[in-house]
Amino acid sequence: MNLLEVTGLTTGYGSSTVVHGVDLHVAAHGVTALLGANGAGKTTVLRALSGFLRRQGQLVFDGHPLPSGSPSRVARAGIAHVPQGRGTLRQLTVRENLAVGGLLRRDREGVAQDMAHCEDLFPVLRARRGSQAGELSGGEQQMLAIGRAFMSRPKLLLLDEPSLGLAPRITQELFEMLPRLRQDWGLAVLVVEQNANLALAIADHAVVLEAGQVVLAGPAPDIAGHDDVRRAYLGD
Amino acid sequence: MLLFYQVLDGLVSGSIYAALALAIVLAYRATGVINFAQGQMAVFSAYLAWSLTTIGLPVWLAIAGALLLSVVVGAFLERVVMRRFESAEPLVGIVVSIGLFISVNGLVSLIWGTSLTQFPAVFPAGSIELGDVGITYVALGTVVVLLLVIAALQLLFMRTRLGLGFRAVAVNPESSSLSGLPVGLLLMTGWGLAAALGALAGTLVAPALYLQPGMMDMVLIYALAAAVLGGLDSPFGAVVAAWLIGVVENLAGTFIPAIGNDLKIAVPLVLMCLVLFFRPQGLFGRVEVERV
Amino acid sequence: MSSLGTSRPMTGLPRWARLTATALLVVAVVSLPLNASPFVNLQLSIVLATAVALLGLDVLTGWTGQVSLGQSAFYGIGAYAVAVCTARGWPLLVGLAVTVLIAGLVGAIIAIPAVRLRGYALSMVTLALPVVAVPLAKRLDGLTGGSPGLATRTVSAPEWSGLDNDQWRFLVIALISAAVFLLVRNVLKGRHGRALATIRSSEVLATAMGIPVQRYKVGAFVVAAACGGVGGGLYVVAVQFISPETLIVTFSISLLAVLVIGGLRSTLGPLLGAAFYVLVPNVTGAVDAGQSYLLYGLCVLLVMFLLPGGLASAVHRVLAGAARVLPGSRPAVPDLPSQHPIPAPPLPEREVR
Repeated sequence: MNLLEVTGLTTGYGSSTVVHGVDLHVAAHGVTALLGANGAGKTTVLRALSGFLRRQGQLVFDGHPLPSGSPSRVARAGIAHVPQGRGTLRQLTVRENLAVGGLLRRDREGVAQDMAHCEDLFPVLRARRGSQAGELSGGEQQMLAIGRAFMSRPKLLLLDEPSLGLAPRITQELFEMLPRLRQDWGLAVLVVEQNANLALAIADHAVVLEAGQVVLAGPAPDIAGHDDVRRAYLGD
Repeated sequence: MLLFYQVLDGLVSGSIYAALALAIVLAYRATGVINFAQGQMAVFSAYLAWSLTTIGLPVWLAIAGALLLSVVVGAFLERVVMRRFESAEPLVGIVVSIGLFISVNGLVSLIWGTSLTQFPAVFPAGSIELGDVGITYVALGTVVVLLLVIAALQLLFMRTRLGLGFRAVAVNPESSSLSGLPVGLLLMTGWGLAAALGALAGTLVAPALYLQPGMMDMVLIYALAAAVLGGLDSPFGAVVAAWLIGVVENLAGTFIPAIGNDLKIAVPLVLMCLVLFFRPQGLFGRVEVERV
Repeated sequence: MSSLGTSRPMTGLPRWARLTATALLVVAVVSLPLNASPFVNLQLSIVLATAVALLGLDVLTGWTGQVSLGQSAFYGIGAYAVAVCTARGWPLLVGLAVTVLIAGLVGAIIAIPAVRLRGYALSMVTLALPVVAVPLAKRLDGLTGGSPGLATRTVSAPEWSGLDNDQWRFLVIALISAAVFLLVRNVLKGRHGRALATIRSSEVLATAMGIPVQRYKVGAFVVAAACGGVGGGLYVVAVQFISPETLIVTFSISLLAVLVIGGLRSTLGPLLGAAFYVLVPNVTGAVDAGQSYLLYGLCVLLVMFLLPGGLASAVHRVLAGAARVLPGSRPAVPDLPSQHPIPAPPLPEREVR
């Protein structure tokens, strides 16, 4: 049973269509990697999923059609999107950013627990709880953005280029942490990543986009072993 | 002693400017538009309160009713008029709010006419004696009401979930929507709250000025100056700047004969220009340094 | 930005059509006052005076991107300068020369601090001008006549013309307005216009290209002030009277609003905006005097909702349609290189709420 099932997604900006009939899925508790060169339409797919762009196609999430036209409603349906680079509210404190993530939840104790859990996972968030988010380093902001996304207890996490602008060591840490987050929270992940090696190491399914179309899809190990992919994206 | 009373008077007018300046800052933070119609909306609210008193409500109840109705009016105008222009350049926002200013002014004239109307006193006449100084209840009441408003806003913004939602949306609506916040609803509430604050300014000033469609025009100028001087996105800055403007203007008008009553308005404006020349972001405004 | 479009209504038309249109326009302007009532001539004269003031504001706000709410102050300077000069029996042209000098000088003085500011801070500083100008005009009553105002006889029709005074005044105003429009248009057509457009889109880029940004911004202020002054002077030519009440803050704010309504960065925009400002209240007042202000405000909102490029963009669209059907048309050039020297930065897609 797939958590997210996308069939024939077509979308773009204004009158220019960027993504043409993309199919993809994310299994329950699974990790799907969305790969492709710059400009292949990966980010566009994520923005369409979370309701920022007009779109066509069949999108089923958790057994229901995915709401369209309103990012808020998508978020409330259980999808948390960590956008590229700017996932924090810069003028609010670290604590407040996490609180905004859980703002719509009614279970106050659960929110407090999750916040503590977040700060256990990313100790720097506890150390700098009173700082403005904009003052954190790039890596710290990325952790905060992921923490904020978790605070809404999503079923599906959309991660857009989490490694962008991060030092390799921090990227490594982040990706090592992802499987653990998945166990702890039981959520599924759709990750867009330039660094295909990283993504394929943690994914169980992968989709390769080229010029807005799916050119390859399958279990992550198969994709990782595919000659074309190795040549095009893995630098062999 | 004259000095004391002049400073007090300045603080009283400053408190009224502050209430409207807070409204402007609130609306600006919500939608990024300086609402030139804020003063005119306040006039509308003051007339609403007056109408409520004419059907027999006590003045405090009438003001409370007008504040509530103003929330609805403000939210309505945000949704129906401003929403379309919030992502446009500032010039468009200015012109649309000018259109709103003219329309609301026309609406007020149409409903209530243009003649002067007496608004009932909000605070009792007379004064409280403290040693050898007497402070009128009007002066005391105006300043106390503003202080209460500041305290209430501080509680709302820093201690409640709604307040956190407001601030999140003010910082970044798109990012806030990713946490599921109902961005549109929060923007409407922001404008609604701003309208209520403006209504408070309108009803506080109405007993002294008589009701008329243009009664807030000058208050609007002072409030705009206070909002910009304070830094536009800083409620705290707006209040401090409004008090400063009220006091400086009063002192200059009284103690510098060459300035007098007619030109005293120039003093805070020149002050504002001087401050902006050295601090373009205002006294308490933040310079956002983009981190690439 | 895309929301405030530019338009040059005539560029798409064939040469013969443009010449004919210009000739027809001149004939119309010259013959118009002969058949119109004094009231109509007065209204049209005020439209032209306002258009000149708007033209100046357009150079500053439309072309250079500096939002000014202070244009009425310069209008006032010009109005009083012309009124004071002509009241002393000096010729109108002397009055206008004094106007350009004083208004330009004040503009330059204001510009020096103002060019450091942008956005709302600049609009507030400029808004301070009319706020101070009104009590100042009342205060300087020895010169200005104080609150009651100042009446003067500006120009009268000479014997040989056989015209009435209102007709003569309209022609004088039309001639001076046309001269100012041609002058400003020609200045903006070449590299100065390109420089201003570059500054508007990015001051950093303009500096990098070697454009003296500060000097241009001060220059735009001076041109705006001088045109504002001439506009005010022409107003006095038409009305023969000026009082501080003419210069109230709401007038200054309205000038900016009607400029955007008319359309930025086009010759037609200030004219249409001025016509809107002067004539629409007449029309709405005729519908119902009590509701005129409400209707006027709704008209402003309506134009903003329906015609983001202003009234000029609508005229432009009609003329572009005409250009396609007329013989001898060359393909319309939608955007001259002078308008957009660099591609506009991509807008973030509109957020769906």
